[in-house]
Amino acid sequence: MDAPGPLGQVEVFQALRQLHMTIFSQSISPCGKFLAAGNNYGQIAIFSLSAALSSEAKEESKKPVVTFQAHDGAVYSMTSTDRHLLSAGDGEVKAWLWADILKKVKGCKELWRRQPPYRTSLEVPEINALLLVPKENALILAGGDCQLHTMDLETGTFTRALRGHTDYIHCLALRERSPEVLSGGEDGAVRLWDLRTAKEVQTIEVYKHEECSRPQNGRWIGCLATDSDWMVCGGGPALTLWHLRSSTPTTVFPMWAPQRHVTFYQDLILSAGQGPCANHWQLSGELKAQVPSSSPGLLSLSLNQQPAAPECKVLTAAGNSCRVDVFTNLGYRAFSLSF
Amino acid sequence: MSSESSKKRKPKVIRSDGAPSEGKRSRSDAEQEGKYYSEEAEVDLRDPGRDYELYKYTCQELQRLMAEIQDLKSRGGKDAAVEIEDRRIQSCVHFMTLKKLNRLAHIRLKKGRDQTHEAKQKVDAYHLQLQNLLYEVMHLQKEITKCLEFKSKHEEIDLVSLEEFYKEAPPDISKAEVTMGDPHQQTLARLDWELEQRKRLAEKYRDSLSNKEQILKEIEVKKEYLSSLQPRLNSIMQASLPVQEYLSMPFDQAHKQYETARHLPPPLYVLFVQATAYGQACDKTLSVAIEGSVDEAKALFKPPEDSQDDESDSDAEEEQTSKRRRPTLGVQLDDKRKEMLKRHPLSVVLALRCKDDSVLQLTFYYLMNLNIVTVKAKVTTAMELITPISAGDLLSPDSVLSCLYPGDHGKKTPNAANQYQFDKVGILTFRDYVLELGHPYLWVQKLSGLHFPKEQPQHTVIADHSLSASHMEATMKLLKARVQSRLALHKQFASLEHGIVPVSSDCQYLYPAKVVSRLVKWVTIAPEDHMELHFTKDLVEAGLAGDHNLYYLALVERGTAKLQAAVVVNPGYPSIPPIFQLCLNWKGEKTNSNDDNIRAMESEVNVCYKELCGPRPGHQLLTNQLQRLCVLLDVYLETESHDDSVEGPREFPQEKMCLRLFRGPTRMKPFKYNHPQGFFSHR
Repeated sequence: MDAPGPLGQVEVFQALRQLHMTIFSQSISPCGKFLAAGNNYGQIAIFSLSAALSSEAKEESKKPVVTFQAHDGAVYSMTSTDRHLLSAGDGEVKAWLWADILKKVKGCKELWRRQPPYRTSLEVPEINALLLVPKENALILAGGDCQLHTMDLETGTFTRALRGHTDYIHCLALRERSPEVLSGGEDGAVRLWDLRTAKEVQTIEVYKHEECSRPQNGRWIGCLATDSDWMVCGGGPALTLWHLRSSTPTTVFPMWAPQRHVTFYQDLILSAGQGPCANHWQLSGELKAQVPSSSPGLLSLSLNQQPAAPECKVLTAAGNSCRVDVFTNLGYRAFSLSF
Repeated sequence: MSSESSKKRKPKVIRSDGAPSEGKRSRSDAEQEGKYYSEEAEVDLRDPGRDYELYKYTCQELQRLMAEIQDLKSRGGKDAAVEIEDRRIQSCVHFMTLKKLNRLAHIRLKKGRDQTHEAKQKVDAYHLQLQNLLYEVMHLQKEITKCLEFKSKHEEIDLVSLEEFYKEAPPDISKAEVTMGDPHQQTLARLDWELEQRKRLAEKYRDSLSNKEQILKEIEVKKEYLSSLQPRLNSIMQASLPVQEYLSMPFDQAHKQYETARHLPPPLYVLFVQATAYGQACDKTLSVAIEGSVDEAKALFKPPEDSQDDESDSDAEEEQTSKRRRPTLGVQLDDKRKEMLKRHPLSVVLALRCKDDSVLQLTFYYLMNLNIVTVKAKVTTAMELITPISAGDLLSPDSVLSCLYPGDHGKKTPNAANQYQFDKVGILTFRDYVLELGHPYLWVQKLSGLHFPKEQPQHTVIADHSLSASHMEATMKLLKARVQSRLALHKQFASLEHGIVPVSSDCQYLYPAKVVSRLVKWVTIAPEDHMELHFTKDLVEAGLAGDHNLYYLALVERGTAKLQAAVVVNPGYPSIPPIFQLCLNWKGEKTNSNDDNIRAMESEVNVCYKELCGPRPGHQLLTNQLQRLCVLLDVYLETESHDDSVEGPREFPQEKMCLRLFRGPTRMKPFKYNHPQGFFSHR
């Protein structure tokens, strides 16, 4: 097999980078037409979903519209407000204006950047999860230093630091009604925090429950999702559906591979993790569908439910490759966007 | 005339002159006095008109008398006879008159004729005179014109202009006073001067001619002297050869080389010239020589091209007629192929000596019909190399120069026109003949000044010196670097096969002091085997694993853990890094598709290779990567979270100093080694 075209040093290096790229996070723009993806090299690429989904889509539509270097380290987590894109990775959170990014201004400058007050100075802890609390106009960050930091979006000050985890935090979820924040971490516990009192309300140590614990995989909680009374979490232990008030596991989903992302969708639970497919579960625990994707492992799922762009209502999945799979009909992979 | 006729008539006239004529005119007395009777004279005197009247009257009388006679005769009577007699006599007289008149008329006629004749004669004479005169006039006119047109020879001579003449001519010739006034004299004088001048010049000419003869003779003498010198000089040159060698200034050798170089085909000539120039100017380690038979090269030009065409024509005919005789057809095709792939008998040999005294010998051949240059390479080292098994291909002549420039495999002919030639003789690819004929790399064509632009196939490509010169330095440097890196790899492989990763002292800082994992196996594998390994699929899909790369399999072990690494070494090593794909067998099989940490390990070695290059020229890259792989395996095994449900101690107690064991959503292990603090952290 002959190499396509002369592969000089530059081409080989680029190819190697693409090969070893991991996309950690995704975020939909407020208008619903664009998708932002952040990778392990610290780059953020913006893809135009409307262009890629349109009938005249060509190969170039599957390439990013804009790519810029956002962080020095990996971009572990991203979220969008109605005007800003917030990205976080190695120790700091940066905000970008969606309008500015889309103008393809070369050398995107962040609007602001903040670093939560860390205790240690030896190593800069990463930020693994970002959570928006719209009612309080606040942002919650959690990551390597085992604390949840709350930041006021208007003033940019860090108001509270919630301590309790004994090992770093993987994921966050918001329980709208209370409002409460759930956090899952490496120490194997899911903790519920009340935002007003800034206290830990409930702790669920998942690994201690026999139905779901899997000691070979470890005890870490990689993903969390909550739907008021219910919570689903996965990671080292099996993917399990919990009833929050009673802290009992109701359904254990029979998935061996550790799951990295889980979300409620209509009457289904969608999860993805190690293993090249996105899983659709029914609440009863049955596997409704397993949709193969192009990456060997998935790290994030994103459902575009923005009301402004109903034609772009797709599920996108990204993980251990440079590709973002787009599922137009949840049942199969339509095409892939690529960095 | 008239006198003759009068003489003839004279007797007649005298006889009948006796009777006086009645009613006749009277003769003039002047006439009667003559001795003879001239009737001609009478004619002059008589009036023709009256004679005509007389004639008419006489005719009337005759008629009347005849009528009367007839009357009388018809009446008859006695008087009639006398009357008739009378009348007869009258009629006779009238007849006489008529006769006379007739004579006169004749005479008059004759006279008139004579007069006319005379006048005519006169007129004729005048006419003749006129003609003569006219003729003479014409003649004279012609003569005049001739005279007027006469160009004397003297006018053809370009005389010097008047001013010059008066200036230059000596006064005895120019005679100014006389010639000024008289143009004839002037011309004469000028002609005189011309003659004078010419005489003088003729003198000079004779003198210089004799001079020239003399000088020619002198030249002859000197030439002979010089030619007698030639053998003496030759003998001196021979004698000086040992002196040249002693002083290491091989002029003679160079001279001989240039002599043979003249018979080189143009591309090889360009190569020779450029390489020699480069060698003399920039790089003393490059030496150029020409090999092959000069006589054969000379013989190439002898047979005219027609005979070659004839051959091919006759071949074609034979082919057609001998379609049924298969063996001969194949043999002919074979011959045609051989003819097409014929090499020029002369070849250029470049020898590049590297720092460690190893020599890269490149022999360049020119394929005449295909108009491309090929090269065969050979590496010889100062000391005998014990080739480790895995290093078989490193220095093999087939692959040592592959991909010197990216994508330049040297398996296809760069001349687009060759494809048509190949079709004619049934050659499918050039690849089959490459081993025998040498590789037609693109840089070889460039060094020989042959430029084959991809878009426009050209019939005749001329060798261009500037193209060669612009590529010479870069190519020589690449060649040297290539040989050095291959030799370095050669040595390293020898060590790797024994399980020792040779890390040079200046790269030790990259690694912790204690590395437990060991390299146990290092073998070379074929490209097909590489493709069949299940953990190399992405590499193959990304197009990074082609035929021209070198493939190896390394095995690193620690305890029960076995790490397989498939290594792809690009011919452009070390500027293009080797690529590793890993598969770990420990508590199950882990590859980059099911374990994020294995993926991270690959990334550490493949993507972050720049810090592993080591000191220039970067020959340590591969060994550093291997050593790092061992360190990574150590970290992986030691930081693996302990499974509490399983009893027993950990197989690999943690000895490495790490700040944190896991980080990020993918729970990365701390693979980055920090020097000199000696702890591991995350990137």
